[in-house]
Amino acid sequence: MASANKRFTPGLPGRRATAVVAGGLAVASLLGACGGSGKSASGATSNTTAGSSGSSGTAAPSGGSTAPGNATSGSITWWASPITTSGPDPRTVLIQAFEKANPGIHVTLVSAPNDTDTNRAALTTQISGGGGPDVYMGDVIWPAQFGAHQLAVPLSKYLPSSYWSTFANGLVAGATYKGEVYGAPLFEDQGFLYYRKDILQADNLPVPTTWEQLMSEAQQIQKKGQAQYGYVFQGADYEGATCDFMEFLADAGGKVLNSSADKSELTANGDALKALTFEQQLVNSGVSPKAESTFQESQAMDTFDSGKSAFLRNWDYAYSTSQASGSAVVGKVGVAPMPTFTGQSQPGYSNIGGWNLYANPHSKNLAADLTFIKWMTGTDAQKILATQFSEIPTNQSVRTSPDVIASNAVLAVVPKTKLVPRPAQTPNYPAVSQAIYQNVSAVLAGQKSPQAALSAANSAISTAVSGGGL
Amino acid sequence: MAIAERVEKPPLPPEPPAAAIPLIGRPDAHRRKLARLGWMFSAPALVVIAVVTLFPIVFSVVMSFENVNVTGSGYQFNGTTLGNYNVILNNQTWRYALGFTVLYTLITVLVEIILGTAIALVLERLTHGRGWMMALLLIPWSLITVISAQLWYYMYDPSYGIIDRILHALGFGNPVILGTNTSAIIALMVADVWKTTPFVAIIVLAGLVMLSSDVYEAAEVDGANGWTTFWRITFPLLRPTIALAVLFRVLQAFGLFDLPFVLTQGGPGHATTSLAVLGYRAMFQDLKFGPGAAVATSTALLVVLGCMAFLRVFKAQVGSEGN
Repeated sequence: MASANKRFTPGLPGRRATAVVAGGLAVASLLGACGGSGKSASGATSNTTAGSSGSSGTAAPSGGSTAPGNATSGSITWWASPITTSGPDPRTVLIQAFEKANPGIHVTLVSAPNDTDTNRAALTTQISGGGGPDVYMGDVIWPAQFGAHQLAVPLSKYLPSSYWSTFANGLVAGATYKGEVYGAPLFEDQGFLYYRKDILQADNLPVPTTWEQLMSEAQQIQKKGQAQYGYVFQGADYEGATCDFMEFLADAGGKVLNSSADKSELTANGDALKALTFEQQLVNSGVSPKAESTFQESQAMDTFDSGKSAFLRNWDYAYSTSQASGSAVVGKVGVAPMPTFTGQSQPGYSNIGGWNLYANPHSKNLAADLTFIKWMTGTDAQKILATQFSEIPTNQSVRTSPDVIASNAVLAVVPKTKLVPRPAQTPNYPAVSQAIYQNVSAVLAGQKSPQAALSAANSAISTAVSGGGL
Repeated sequence: MAIAERVEKPPLPPEPPAAAIPLIGRPDAHRRKLARLGWMFSAPALVVIAVVTLFPIVFSVVMSFENVNVTGSGYQFNGTTLGNYNVILNNQTWRYALGFTVLYTLITVLVEIILGTAIALVLERLTHGRGWMMALLLIPWSLITVISAQLWYYMYDPSYGIIDRILHALGFGNPVILGTNTSAIIALMVADVWKTTPFVAIIVLAGLVMLSSDVYEAAEVDGANGWTTFWRITFPLLRPTIALAVLFRVLQAFGLFDLPFVLTQGGPGHATTSLAVLGYRAMFQDLKFGPGAAVATSTALLVVLGCMAFLRVFKAQVGSEGN
């Protein structure tokens, strides 16, 4: 979802004519400078705040309670980008429910930029300047980077392991950097296989569980002229291509980084080659459109919605979008776990997206922050997110509760899926991901062979994890 | 030849009267007071300029020579270093981005100057509706680039884009315009030329209107045809105006950011990664502020040097023709 979709980009510095070159950079340095100018004073105070609360293990500067996450009073700000585009705002609904349950704590919503990178840039400059919101909603791929740069509070220092075990498998691991958990998973997103129920029924075909099966069914459907394309996914030169590649790669049994996330394991043979060669075949065989190398979520979605493709890989929002007015496939869409390669245990891997809650090291009210974070990831808030807004809950008990499963076709599939994170355990993840998506996209565009792309990606990732390069 | 000789001596601009009025040697208190008052009045504005322009620039330059780490408690400077420049000079992407940005600037500015001048010449001849035409022309220029880029994005779209349809109808198959290196670069250039040609046209038109009609009459009397008149009269006289347009455009084109940011995110691969996009990435995606600042500073230095060289060459030419 939003974690990978950068199309909706609201704010950019405008064209700044001559202002000594690279308008954006001038503005950038301005922002940076303002942040930097305040550092000496605010940096000192914040260090002592974080330091003292960290060493004592409790955090209650003004929260009114000593146990972490049990503060009963205070006033905090919550920085979050819009979660949905229509209907009631989930953020306000959640805040209202929280304030009802915790009448002593007042939460003010600060609406963050839609675009993930703009969001990160705004947060980085604010926090490094000594300010920023108390609690912020951030991408699932940020923990290592934000942890390494001390832009987020290591929450595991304050919240016990019994709290972290309430989350679904794999989510906390993805929010961990060097043994500390930096983000509390708020809602999750992941890849799903969407298919045309009507076509599969007409042709008497089963829902594919392997990639090979998906390809042959797609070709059959295309041959009969029931759909122009077989399968559409994300292959453009952006984060989404990394997400999709991670699924193919994990299905083939490969991975990008070693367990300590400081070495590339993406070699130009074996599993990775199998994964990328298959992606290439999808395009070369005509099962996927030639334009795959420019497809983000919206292009794939549009193609599927207009009835031009039999299968679609997309995030959880795709189901409701395909059933909205204007879609040509209303009532004809089914959702299933992702396929895998023949011979692997089913189902295939779904890449993890979604959003975590982080606490700002400069927050003056960490105790109330923790109360808020705990409540938002607890059963009440998670149920609201799932049943009212169709977001995938991170809380395991809510995920598997019958009323949540019954509320929505996608949520019913969630417990059957298998998750794979992106290789975001390194603070240099953005460069790692760039190495992946640029090369994957180049293969889909027919500009590189899978071998050449993988060895290029491998060397770029090696440079990236060592902190080198640009 | 007669024409040429006459043409090559355009009326000289009046010498600046700087030396004409000698400062009379009475540095009285009143005058100094006035000066002080002037400084006082402009001080607030100067402070604002210093804060929003000079300080960030200086900070950025300093940062480019520092081993800088951004943390929750501000920027840590861990010693002066040339390492940031070493990183970018040894980085393939930076070298590519430099080449791309220079080439992009040269081509787009050249095309824009040619088209803009042509449009200005037509506009100058227009007797009716010139105002309307100018208003129409200004629409692309006045659109915010992020918005026009998003519109171009729709037009380039391979499944429903109009340009894709047109190319398909013309027998080019189904080109994925933003998906291959060359076509993506051309697509950016087209969007840029579309937007900024009117700007050049307006500037050149302003220059054209100022030209004295005497020279043209003289040329007509001497029997010069349109082509000769353009090359021997209009173009030389327009040189200062065109120089101004080139300068503006080069400064702007070199900072190319919003078009690739919206249309291609610097892709496919690195194909449309400009220096500004690269710097933005280094700073705000990777939080590598040192190398990012080095990209920004070196870019600024290059464009300033480039413009100075351009002005120098240009001034020399204008000067020699003037005499």
